[in-house]
Amino acid sequence: MIGAAADIVRQIRDGTWSARAVLTQATARIESQNPGLNCFTALTFERASREAAAIDALRARGQPLPPLAGVPYAVKNLFDIAGLATLAGAKVNAGNAPAAADAPLVARLHRAGAVLVGALNMDEHAYGFTTENSHYGTTRNPHDRTRVAGGSSGGSAAAVAAGLVPISLGSDTNGSIRVPASFCGVFGLKPTYGRLPRSGTFPFVHSLDTLGPFARTVTDLAAAYDALQGPYPGDPACAQRDVEPVSASLTLPHGIRIGILGGWFHEWADPAARRAVQLAASALGATLTVDFKSAAAARAAAFVITAAEGGALHRARLVTQYDAYEPLSRARLVAGSLIPASWVVQAQRVRRQVFTEALGLFDRFDLLLAAAAPVVAPLIGTEILAVNGRSLPSRASLGLLTQPISCIGLPVCTAPLWPGDADAALQCRGLPMGVQLIGAPWREDICLAAAAALERAGVAGPRLPVDS
Amino acid sequence: MRAALALQGYEFDEAQIAEITLQFSRIESVAQIVLDWPLPFASEAAEVFRP
Repeated sequence: MIGAAADIVRQIRDGTWSARAVLTQATARIESQNPGLNCFTALTFERASREAAAIDALRARGQPLPPLAGVPYAVKNLFDIAGLATLAGAKVNAGNAPAAADAPLVARLHRAGAVLVGALNMDEHAYGFTTENSHYGTTRNPHDRTRVAGGSSGGSAAAVAAGLVPISLGSDTNGSIRVPASFCGVFGLKPTYGRLPRSGTFPFVHSLDTLGPFARTVTDLAAAYDALQGPYPGDPACAQRDVEPVSASLTLPHGIRIGILGGWFHEWADPAARRAVQLAASALGATLTVDFKSAAAARAAAFVITAAEGGALHRARLVTQYDAYEPLSRARLVAGSLIPASWVVQAQRVRRQVFTEALGLFDRFDLLLAAAAPVVAPLIGTEILAVNGRSLPSRASLGLLTQPISCIGLPVCTAPLWPGDADAALQCRGLPMGVQLIGAPWREDICLAAAAALERAGVAGPRLPVDS
Repeated sequence: MRAALALQGYEFDEAQIAEITLQFSRIESVAQIVLDWPLPFASEAAEVFRP
Protein backbone atom coordinates (compact mmCIF):
# COMPACT_ATOMS: atom_id res chain seq x y z
CA MET A 1 0.00 0.00 0.00
CA ILE A 2 1.52 3.31 -1.07
CA GLY A 3 1.49 5.91 1.70
CA ALA A 4 -0.24 9.26 1.83
CA ALA A 5 1.13 12.01 -0.40
CA ALA A 6 1.84 14.24 2.58
CA ASP A 7 3.99 11.51 4.16
CA ILE A 8 5.82 10.84 0.91
CA VAL A 9 6.69 14.53 0.48
CA ARG A 10 7.88 14.80 4.07
CA GLN A 11 10.05 11.68 3.79
CA ILE A 12 11.62 12.83 0.55
CA ARG A 13 12.29 16.26 2.04
CA ASP A 14 13.96 14.87 5.15
CA GLY A 15 15.92 12.29 3.18
CA THR A 16 14.24 9.23 4.70
CA TRP A 17 13.29 8.17 1.20
CA SER A 18 14.15 9.10 -2.37
CA ALA A 19 11.61 9.76 -5.09
CA ARG A 20 13.05 6.78 -6.98
CA ALA A 21 12.46 4.51 -3.98
CA VAL A 22 8.86 5.74 -3.71
CA LEU A 23 8.38 5.07 -7.40
CA THR A 24 9.83 1.58 -7.05
CA GLN A 25 7.30 0.83 -4.32
CA ALA A 26 4.44 2.24 -6.39
CA THR A 27 5.32 0.30 -9.52
CA ALA A 28 5.66 -2.93 -7.54
CA ARG A 29 2.25 -2.38 -6.00
CA ILE A 30 0.72 -1.60 -9.38
CA GLU A 31 2.27 -4.67 -10.99
CA SER A 32 1.01 -6.95 -8.22
CA GLN A 33 -2.52 -5.54 -7.80
CA ASN A 34 -3.54 -4.08 -11.14
CA PRO A 35 -4.04 -7.40 -12.97
CA GLY A 36 -6.87 -8.26 -10.57
CA LEU A 37 -8.42 -4.79 -10.56
CA ASN A 38 -7.86 -3.46 -14.09
CA CYS A 39 -7.39 0.15 -13.06
CA PHE A 40 -4.73 1.07 -15.61
CA THR A 41 -4.90 1.13 -19.40
CA ALA A 42 -1.35 2.45 -19.86
CA LEU A 43 1.73 2.65 -17.67
CA THR A 44 4.24 5.50 -17.98
CA PHE A 45 7.05 4.13 -15.85
CA GLU A 46 9.86 5.48 -18.07
CA ARG A 47 8.49 8.99 -17.80
CA ALA A 48 7.91 8.44 -14.08
CA SER A 49 11.50 7.38 -13.65
CA ARG A 50 12.71 10.60 -15.30
CA GLU A 51 10.39 12.72 -13.14
CA ALA A 52 11.46 10.96 -9.94
CA ALA A 53 15.13 11.36 -10.86
CA ALA A 54 14.57 15.09 -11.39
CA ILE A 55 13.11 15.40 -7.89
CA ASP A 56 16.04 13.53 -6.36
CA ALA A 57 18.43 15.76 -8.30
CA LEU A 58 16.70 18.88 -6.96
CA ARG A 59 17.15 17.65 -3.41
CA ALA A 60 20.75 16.65 -4.02
CA ARG A 61 21.45 20.22 -5.13
CA GLY A 62 19.82 21.57 -2.00
CA GLN A 63 17.08 23.34 -3.94
CA PRO A 64 13.55 23.78 -2.60
CA LEU A 65 11.20 20.90 -3.43
CA PRO A 66 7.77 21.57 -4.94
CA PRO A 67 4.63 20.77 -2.89
CA LEU A 68 3.97 17.29 -4.33
CA ALA A 69 7.60 16.30 -4.80
CA GLY A 70 7.88 12.63 -5.70
CA VAL A 71 4.20 11.79 -5.24
CA PRO A 72 3.06 9.12 -7.72
CA TYR A 73 -0.26 9.82 -9.43
CA ALA A 74 -2.29 8.66 -12.42
CA VAL A 75 -5.02 10.19 -14.57
CA LYS A 76 -8.24 9.04 -16.21
CA ASN A 77 -7.42 8.20 -19.78
CA LEU A 78 -9.34 11.17 -21.17
CA PHE A 79 -6.48 13.47 -20.08
CA ASP A 80 -3.85 14.19 -22.71
CA ILE A 81 -0.49 12.67 -21.83
CA ALA A 82 2.28 13.72 -24.20
CA GLY A 83 3.21 10.80 -26.43
CA LEU A 84 0.07 8.71 -25.81
CA ALA A 85 -3.18 8.56 -27.74
CA THR A 86 -5.99 9.90 -25.55
CA LEU A 87 -8.41 6.99 -25.40
CA ALA A 88 -11.33 8.36 -23.38
CA GLY A 89 -12.14 4.68 -22.89
CA ALA A 90 -12.88 4.18 -26.58
CA LYS A 91 -11.57 1.83 -29.22
CA VAL A 92 -12.41 4.43 -31.87
CA ASN A 93 -9.77 6.73 -30.37
CA ALA A 94 -6.99 4.16 -30.13
CA GLY A 95 -5.65 5.04 -33.57
CA ASN A 96 -5.59 8.78 -32.95
CA ALA A 97 -2.29 10.62 -33.04
CA PRO A 98 -0.45 10.74 -29.71
CA ALA A 99 -1.06 13.87 -27.69
CA ALA A 100 1.53 16.53 -28.47
CA ALA A 101 1.50 17.89 -24.92
CA ASP A 102 0.17 17.16 -21.46
CA ALA A 103 -3.24 18.49 -20.50
CA PRO A 104 -2.87 21.69 -18.44
CA LEU A 105 -3.83 19.89 -15.22
CA VAL A 106 -1.24 17.16 -15.87
CA ALA A 107 1.31 19.89 -16.53
CA ARG A 108 0.36 21.58 -13.26
CA LEU A 109 0.87 18.38 -11.27
CA HIS A 110 4.20 17.91 -13.03
CA ARG A 111 5.22 21.42 -11.98
CA ALA A 112 4.14 20.56 -8.44
CA GLY A 113 6.63 17.69 -8.50
CA ALA A 114 4.21 14.78 -8.84
CA VAL A 115 5.26 11.70 -10.81
CA LEU A 116 2.90 10.34 -13.47
CA VAL A 117 2.72 6.52 -13.48
CA GLY A 118 -0.08 5.89 -15.96
CA ALA A 119 -3.54 6.34 -17.47
CA LEU A 120 -6.68 4.92 -15.89
CA ASN A 121 -9.72 3.02 -17.12
CA MET A 122 -13.15 4.62 -17.56
CA ASP A 123 -16.54 4.16 -19.17
CA GLU A 124 -16.31 4.85 -22.88
CA HIS A 125 -16.41 8.61 -23.49
CA ALA A 126 -17.42 9.01 -19.81
CA TYR A 127 -21.00 7.90 -20.58
CA GLY A 128 -21.60 5.53 -17.68
CA PHE A 129 -21.44 5.10 -13.92
CA THR A 130 -19.82 1.65 -13.65
CA THR A 131 -16.55 1.41 -15.67
CA GLU A 132 -17.76 -1.75 -17.34
CA ASN A 133 -15.80 -1.16 -20.51
CA SER A 134 -16.28 -3.71 -23.29
CA HIS A 135 -12.97 -2.75 -24.95
CA TYR A 136 -10.61 -2.36 -22.01
CA GLY A 137 -12.34 -4.55 -19.43
CA THR A 138 -14.25 -3.86 -16.24
CA THR A 139 -12.48 -2.12 -13.36
CA ARG A 140 -13.21 -4.11 -10.22
CA ASN A 141 -14.02 -2.68 -6.82
CA PRO A 142 -11.05 -3.13 -4.45
CA HIS A 143 -13.42 -3.83 -1.54
CA ASP A 144 -15.33 -6.59 -3.35
CA ARG A 145 -14.05 -7.62 -6.74
CA THR A 146 -17.44 -8.94 -7.81
CA ARG A 147 -18.75 -5.37 -7.69
CA VAL A 148 -18.27 -2.35 -9.93
CA ALA A 149 -15.88 0.46 -9.03
CA GLY A 150 -18.35 3.07 -10.20
CA GLY A 151 -17.78 5.43 -13.07
CA SER A 152 -17.02 6.95 -15.23
CA SER A 153 -13.76 7.61 -13.34
CA GLY A 154 -13.70 4.06 -11.99
CA GLY A 155 -10.01 3.43 -12.59
CA SER A 156 -9.15 6.69 -10.82
CA ALA A 157 -11.12 5.81 -7.68
CA ALA A 158 -10.11 2.15 -7.56
CA ALA A 159 -6.39 2.92 -8.01
CA VAL A 160 -6.48 5.23 -5.00
CA ALA A 161 -8.64 2.87 -2.93
CA ALA A 162 -6.28 -0.02 -3.62
CA GLY A 163 -3.24 2.03 -2.60
CA LEU A 164 -1.67 1.97 -6.06
CA VAL A 165 -1.32 5.76 -6.07
CA PRO A 166 -2.14 8.32 -3.36
CA ILE A 167 -3.67 10.80 -5.83
CA SER A 168 -5.48 10.50 -9.15
CA LEU A 169 -7.45 12.74 -11.48
CA GLY A 170 -10.89 12.15 -12.93
CA SER A 171 -13.76 14.01 -14.52
CA ASP A 172 -17.31 14.58 -13.35
CA THR A 173 -20.14 15.50 -15.72
CA ASN A 174 -23.05 13.93 -13.84
CA GLY A 175 -21.34 12.24 -10.91
CA SER A 176 -18.30 10.55 -12.43
CA ILE A 177 -16.02 11.55 -9.54
CA ARG A 178 -18.62 11.29 -6.77
CA VAL A 179 -20.14 7.91 -7.65
CA PRO A 180 -16.83 6.00 -7.93
CA ALA A 181 -15.47 7.78 -4.85
CA SER A 182 -18.57 6.54 -3.05
CA PHE A 183 -18.30 2.96 -4.32
CA CYS A 184 -14.54 2.67 -3.72
CA GLY A 185 -14.42 4.44 -0.36
CA VAL A 186 -12.11 7.38 -1.09
CA PHE A 187 -12.38 11.16 -1.00
CA GLY A 188 -13.20 12.91 -4.26
CA LEU A 189 -13.58 16.57 -5.15
CA LYS A 190 -15.81 17.89 -7.91
CA PRO A 191 -14.96 21.59 -7.94
CA THR A 192 -17.33 24.36 -9.01
CA TYR A 193 -18.07 24.22 -12.73
CA GLY A 194 -15.49 26.48 -14.35
CA ARG A 195 -12.94 26.31 -11.54
CA LEU A 196 -10.40 24.09 -13.33
CA PRO A 197 -9.57 24.17 -17.05
CA ARG A 198 -10.73 21.19 -19.12
CA SER A 199 -8.37 21.91 -22.02
CA GLY A 200 -6.38 18.89 -23.14
CA THR A 201 -9.07 16.44 -22.10
CA PHE A 202 -11.51 14.52 -24.27
CA PRO A 203 -14.85 16.29 -23.79
CA PHE A 204 -18.21 14.69 -23.06
CA VAL A 205 -20.71 17.48 -22.29
CA HIS A 206 -19.17 20.94 -22.46
CA SER A 207 -22.06 22.43 -20.47
CA LEU A 208 -21.33 20.19 -17.49
CA ASP A 209 -17.80 18.75 -17.68
CA THR A 210 -15.66 19.29 -14.58
CA LEU A 211 -12.30 17.82 -13.56
CA GLY A 212 -11.04 16.99 -10.10
CA PRO A 213 -8.86 14.84 -7.83
CA PHE A 214 -9.27 11.69 -5.72
CA ALA A 215 -7.23 10.88 -2.60
CA ARG A 216 -7.26 8.73 0.54
CA THR A 217 -6.93 11.70 2.88
CA VAL A 218 -8.43 15.19 2.84
CA THR A 219 -4.96 16.70 3.27
CA ASP A 220 -3.83 15.01 0.07
CA LEU A 221 -7.03 15.94 -1.76
CA ALA A 222 -6.60 19.60 -0.79
CA ALA A 223 -2.91 19.59 -1.75
CA ALA A 224 -3.75 18.20 -5.18
CA TYR A 225 -6.57 20.70 -5.62
CA ASP A 226 -4.31 23.60 -4.69
CA ALA A 227 -1.76 22.47 -7.27
CA LEU A 228 -4.47 22.22 -9.95
CA GLN A 229 -6.00 25.67 -9.50
CA GLY A 230 -5.40 28.78 -11.55
CA PRO A 231 -6.78 30.64 -14.56
CA TYR A 232 -6.45 29.23 -18.06
CA PRO A 233 -7.75 31.37 -20.93
CA GLY A 234 -7.76 28.41 -23.34
CA ASP A 235 -10.93 27.01 -21.76
CA PRO A 236 -13.86 29.38 -22.37
CA ALA A 237 -15.74 27.91 -19.40
CA CYS A 238 -12.81 28.42 -17.02
CA ALA A 239 -13.62 31.24 -14.62
CA GLN A 240 -10.10 32.72 -14.70
CA ARG A 241 -10.00 33.01 -10.92
CA ASP A 242 -6.73 33.26 -9.07
CA VAL A 243 -5.58 30.35 -6.95
CA GLU A 244 -7.54 30.23 -3.68
CA PRO A 245 -5.50 27.81 -1.54
CA VAL A 246 -7.40 25.56 0.83
CA SER A 247 -4.71 23.34 2.35
CA ALA A 248 -3.97 25.67 5.22
CA SER A 249 -7.62 26.16 6.20
CA LEU A 250 -9.18 22.72 6.59
CA THR A 251 -11.17 23.78 9.63
CA LEU A 252 -14.91 24.44 9.65
CA PRO A 253 -15.80 27.98 10.70
CA HIS A 254 -17.67 28.34 13.98
CA GLY A 255 -21.41 28.58 13.61
CA ILE A 256 -21.49 26.90 10.22
CA ARG A 257 -25.06 26.18 9.11
CA ILE A 258 -25.51 22.70 7.68
CA GLY A 259 -28.67 21.39 6.05
CA ILE A 260 -29.58 17.79 5.21
CA LEU A 261 -31.17 17.50 1.78
CA GLY A 262 -34.52 15.71 2.04
CA GLY A 263 -37.21 15.16 -0.57
CA TRP A 264 -35.68 13.74 -3.75
CA PHE A 265 -32.41 12.97 -1.96
CA HIS A 266 -34.17 10.94 0.74
CA GLU A 267 -36.62 9.28 -1.66
CA TRP A 268 -33.84 7.93 -3.92
CA ALA A 269 -31.46 6.88 -1.14
CA ASP A 270 -31.70 3.31 0.11
CA PRO A 271 -31.34 2.52 3.84
CA ALA A 272 -27.53 2.29 3.65
CA ALA A 273 -27.29 5.64 1.89
CA ARG A 274 -29.66 7.24 4.39
CA ARG A 275 -27.65 5.81 7.26
CA ALA A 276 -24.42 7.25 5.85
CA VAL A 277 -26.00 10.71 5.66
CA GLN A 278 -27.31 10.31 9.20
CA LEU A 279 -23.83 9.41 10.48
CA ALA A 280 -22.26 12.39 8.73
CA ALA A 281 -25.00 14.77 9.90
CA SER A 282 -24.64 13.58 13.48
CA ALA A 283 -20.86 14.07 13.44
CA LEU A 284 -21.24 17.58 11.98
CA GLY A 285 -24.08 18.54 14.32
CA ALA A 286 -26.58 18.97 11.49
CA THR A 287 -30.23 18.49 12.41
CA LEU A 288 -32.26 20.55 9.92
CA THR A 289 -33.67 18.93 6.80
CA VAL A 290 -34.17 21.13 3.76
CA ASP A 291 -36.00 20.38 0.54
CA PHE A 292 -34.38 21.31 -2.76
CA LYS A 293 -37.75 21.36 -4.49
CA SER A 294 -36.47 21.45 -8.06
CA ALA A 295 -34.07 18.53 -7.70
CA ALA A 296 -36.11 16.30 -10.01
CA ALA A 297 -36.17 19.00 -12.67
CA ALA A 298 -32.43 19.60 -12.25
CA ARG A 299 -31.72 15.91 -12.67
CA ALA A 300 -33.93 15.74 -15.75
CA ALA A 301 -32.32 18.84 -17.25
CA ALA A 302 -28.86 17.33 -16.74
CA PHE A 303 -30.08 14.08 -18.31
CA VAL A 304 -31.41 15.86 -21.43
CA ILE A 305 -28.39 18.15 -21.83
CA THR A 306 -26.04 15.20 -21.43
CA ALA A 307 -27.84 12.99 -23.91
CA ALA A 308 -28.14 15.76 -26.49
CA GLU A 309 -24.61 17.18 -26.24
CA GLY A 310 -23.03 13.75 -25.98
CA GLY A 311 -25.03 12.49 -28.92
CA ALA A 312 -24.24 15.55 -31.01
CA LEU A 313 -20.52 15.26 -30.22
CA HIS A 314 -20.38 11.69 -31.51
CA ARG A 315 -23.05 11.70 -34.23
CA ALA A 316 -20.67 11.86 -37.20
CA ARG A 317 -18.63 8.88 -36.00
CA LEU A 318 -21.72 6.96 -34.89
CA VAL A 319 -22.97 7.18 -38.50
CA THR A 320 -19.85 5.46 -39.82
CA GLN A 321 -18.42 3.49 -36.86
CA TYR A 322 -21.43 2.46 -34.75
CA ASP A 323 -20.16 -1.09 -34.29
CA ALA A 324 -16.87 0.15 -32.84
CA TYR A 325 -18.64 2.06 -30.07
CA GLU A 326 -19.36 0.69 -26.59
CA PRO A 327 -22.33 -1.70 -26.82
CA LEU A 328 -23.50 -0.58 -23.36
CA SER A 329 -23.99 3.06 -24.37
CA ARG A 330 -24.00 3.48 -28.17
CA ALA A 331 -27.78 3.22 -28.58
CA ARG A 332 -28.19 5.84 -25.84
CA LEU A 333 -25.77 8.13 -27.67
CA VAL A 334 -27.67 7.77 -30.94
CA ALA A 335 -30.98 8.39 -29.16
CA GLY A 336 -29.47 11.52 -27.62
CA SER A 337 -28.48 12.83 -31.03
CA LEU A 338 -32.16 12.75 -32.01
CA ILE A 339 -33.37 15.01 -29.17
CA PRO A 340 -35.23 18.07 -30.50
CA ALA A 341 -33.46 21.40 -30.04
CA SER A 342 -36.48 22.76 -28.16
CA TRP A 343 -35.92 20.19 -25.40
CA VAL A 344 -32.28 21.20 -24.98
CA VAL A 345 -33.06 24.91 -24.86
CA GLN A 346 -35.81 24.26 -22.33
CA ALA A 347 -33.42 22.15 -20.23
CA GLN A 348 -30.83 24.96 -20.22
CA ARG A 349 -33.51 27.45 -19.16
CA VAL A 350 -34.66 25.12 -16.37
CA ARG A 351 -31.05 24.79 -15.32
CA ARG A 352 -30.66 28.53 -14.85
CA GLN A 353 -33.93 28.80 -12.90
CA VAL A 354 -33.03 25.89 -10.64
CA PHE A 355 -29.65 27.46 -9.97
CA THR A 356 -31.41 30.58 -8.69
CA GLU A 357 -33.49 28.46 -6.32
CA ALA A 358 -30.39 26.65 -5.06
CA LEU A 359 -28.63 29.95 -4.35
CA GLY A 360 -31.56 30.74 -2.06
CA LEU A 361 -30.75 27.64 -0.02
CA PHE A 362 -27.31 29.08 0.63
CA ASP A 363 -28.89 32.12 2.26
CA ARG A 364 -29.91 29.73 5.03
CA PHE A 365 -27.11 27.15 4.91
CA ASP A 366 -23.37 27.09 4.27
CA LEU A 367 -23.22 23.38 3.48
CA LEU A 368 -25.70 20.75 2.31
CA LEU A 369 -25.50 16.99 2.84
CA ALA A 370 -26.80 14.18 0.63
CA ALA A 371 -25.81 10.63 -0.23
CA ALA A 372 -23.54 10.31 -3.26
CA ALA A 373 -25.31 7.27 -4.71
CA PRO A 374 -28.68 5.60 -4.23
CA VAL A 375 -27.05 2.28 -3.24
CA VAL A 376 -23.67 0.76 -2.43
CA ALA A 377 -21.64 -0.59 -5.36
CA PRO A 378 -23.80 -3.01 -7.40
CA LEU A 379 -22.54 -6.36 -8.64
CA ILE A 380 -20.80 -6.29 -12.01
CA GLY A 381 -23.36 -6.84 -14.77
CA THR A 382 -26.33 -5.45 -12.85
CA GLU A 383 -28.93 -4.31 -15.38
CA ILE A 384 -31.78 -3.25 -13.10
CA LEU A 385 -31.30 -1.26 -9.94
CA ALA A 386 -33.78 -1.66 -7.08
CA VAL A 387 -34.09 1.47 -4.93
CA ASN A 388 -36.65 1.38 -2.13
CA GLY A 389 -38.85 -1.03 -4.05
CA ARG A 390 -38.62 0.73 -7.40
CA SER A 391 -36.73 -0.66 -10.39
CA LEU A 392 -34.58 1.46 -12.73
CA PRO A 393 -32.04 0.82 -15.50
CA SER A 394 -28.84 0.58 -13.48
CA ARG A 395 -26.23 2.22 -15.69
CA ALA A 396 -28.29 5.36 -16.36
CA SER A 397 -29.58 5.77 -12.82
CA LEU A 398 -26.62 5.60 -10.44
CA GLY A 399 -26.31 9.37 -10.75
CA LEU A 400 -29.78 10.13 -9.44
CA LEU A 401 -28.36 11.95 -6.41
CA THR A 402 -25.37 13.58 -8.08
CA GLN A 403 -26.96 14.93 -11.26
CA PRO A 404 -29.15 17.59 -9.60
CA ILE A 405 -26.03 19.09 -8.01
CA SER A 406 -23.68 19.06 -11.01
CA CYS A 407 -26.49 20.35 -13.20
CA ILE A 408 -26.08 23.67 -11.42
CA GLY A 409 -22.32 23.49 -11.04
CA LEU A 410 -21.96 23.43 -7.25
CA PRO A 411 -18.72 22.22 -5.63
CA VAL A 412 -18.90 18.88 -3.82
CA CYS A 413 -16.47 16.85 -1.76
CA THR A 414 -17.47 13.21 -1.41
CA ALA A 415 -16.47 11.62 1.88
CA PRO A 416 -16.47 7.83 2.34
CA LEU A 417 -18.46 6.33 5.21
CA TRP A 418 -19.09 2.70 6.14
CA PRO A 419 -22.71 2.45 7.24
CA GLY A 420 -22.80 -1.35 7.24
CA ASP A 421 -20.12 -1.53 9.91
CA ALA A 422 -22.45 0.11 12.41
CA ASP A 423 -25.65 -1.64 11.37
CA ALA A 424 -25.58 -5.29 10.30
CA ALA A 425 -29.21 -5.08 9.15
CA LEU A 426 -28.10 -2.94 6.21
CA GLN A 427 -26.26 -5.97 4.80
CA CYS A 428 -23.42 -3.93 3.36
CA ARG A 429 -20.65 -4.61 5.84
CA GLY A 430 -17.28 -3.76 4.36
CA LEU A 431 -18.76 -1.63 1.58
CA PRO A 432 -18.44 2.16 1.53
CA MET A 433 -21.09 4.78 0.86
CA GLY A 434 -20.16 8.34 0.00
CA VAL A 435 -21.78 11.46 1.37
CA GLN A 436 -21.83 14.61 -0.74
CA LEU A 437 -20.68 17.73 1.13
CA ILE A 438 -22.12 20.45 -1.10
CA GLY A 439 -21.06 24.07 -0.98
CA ALA A 440 -22.13 27.33 -2.57
CA PRO A 441 -20.32 28.23 -5.80
CA TRP A 442 -16.56 28.67 -5.29
CA ARG A 443 -16.69 27.42 -1.67
CA GLU A 444 -14.62 24.28 -2.14
CA ASP A 445 -12.89 25.32 1.10
CA ILE A 446 -16.04 24.62 3.12
CA CYS A 447 -16.65 21.27 1.39
CA LEU A 448 -13.10 20.16 2.15
CA ALA A 449 -13.18 21.48 5.70
CA ALA A 450 -16.34 19.45 6.36
CA ALA A 451 -14.66 16.34 4.93
CA ALA A 452 -11.67 16.99 7.18
CA ALA A 453 -13.97 17.31 10.19
CA LEU A 454 -15.53 13.93 9.40
CA GLU A 455 -12.08 12.44 8.90
CA ARG A 456 -10.80 13.81 12.22
CA ALA A 457 -13.90 12.48 13.97
CA GLY A 458 -13.15 9.01 12.61
CA VAL A 459 -16.47 8.95 10.77
CA ALA A 460 -15.13 9.12 7.21
CA GLY A 461 -12.03 7.68 5.63
CA PRO A 462 -10.72 4.82 3.55
CA ARG A 463 -10.40 1.20 4.67
CA LEU A 464 -7.85 -1.33 3.55
CA PRO A 465 -8.97 -3.21 0.43
CA VAL A 466 -9.67 -6.94 0.64
CA ASP A 467 -6.39 -8.16 -0.87
CA SER A 468 -3.98 -5.91 0.98
CA MET B 1 -37.94 7.29 -35.30
CA ARG B 2 -36.98 6.09 -38.77
CA ALA B 3 -37.37 9.59 -40.22
CA ALA B 4 -35.34 11.13 -37.39
CA LEU B 5 -32.56 8.58 -37.86
CA ALA B 6 -32.50 9.15 -41.62
CA LEU B 7 -32.37 12.92 -41.10
CA GLN B 8 -29.19 12.47 -39.06
CA GLY B 9 -27.65 10.13 -41.64
CA TYR B 10 -27.99 6.86 -39.75
CA GLU B 11 -28.71 3.46 -41.32
CA PHE B 12 -29.60 0.73 -38.82
CA ASP B 13 -31.20 -2.70 -38.89
CA GLU B 14 -34.47 -3.48 -37.14
CA ALA B 15 -32.86 -4.73 -33.92
CA GLN B 16 -30.72 -1.63 -33.64
CA ILE B 17 -33.71 0.64 -34.29
CA ALA B 18 -35.64 -1.16 -31.57
CA GLU B 19 -32.83 -0.59 -29.05
CA ILE B 20 -32.45 3.08 -29.99
CA THR B 21 -36.23 3.52 -29.74
CA LEU B 22 -36.15 2.05 -26.23
CA GLN B 23 -33.36 4.42 -25.24
CA PHE B 24 -35.17 7.40 -26.71
CA SER B 25 -38.34 6.51 -24.85
CA ARG B 26 -36.34 6.45 -21.60
CA ILE B 27 -34.91 9.90 -22.34
CA GLU B 28 -38.38 11.18 -23.22
CA SER B 29 -39.75 9.81 -19.97
CA VAL B 30 -37.10 11.61 -17.90
CA ALA B 31 -37.36 14.76 -20.03
CA GLN B 32 -41.08 15.18 -19.44
CA ILE B 33 -40.64 17.16 -16.24
CA VAL B 34 -38.36 19.59 -18.09
CA LEU B 35 -40.83 20.00 -20.94
CA ASP B 36 -43.67 20.65 -18.48
CA TRP B 37 -41.67 23.02 -16.25
CA PRO B 38 -43.27 26.47 -16.09
CA LEU B 39 -40.87 29.20 -17.18
CA PRO B 40 -41.40 32.91 -17.74
CA PHE B 41 -40.67 34.12 -21.26
CA ALA B 42 -37.80 36.19 -19.90
CA SER B 43 -35.90 33.21 -18.51
CA GLU B 44 -32.66 32.65 -20.37
CA ALA B 45 -30.70 29.50 -21.04
CA ALA B 46 -27.60 28.77 -18.97
CA GLU B 47 -24.94 29.45 -21.56
CA VAL B 48 -21.16 29.40 -21.28
CA PHE B 49 -20.47 31.76 -24.18
CA ARG B 50 -18.88 34.98 -22.92
CA PRO B 51 -17.76 37.30 -25.70
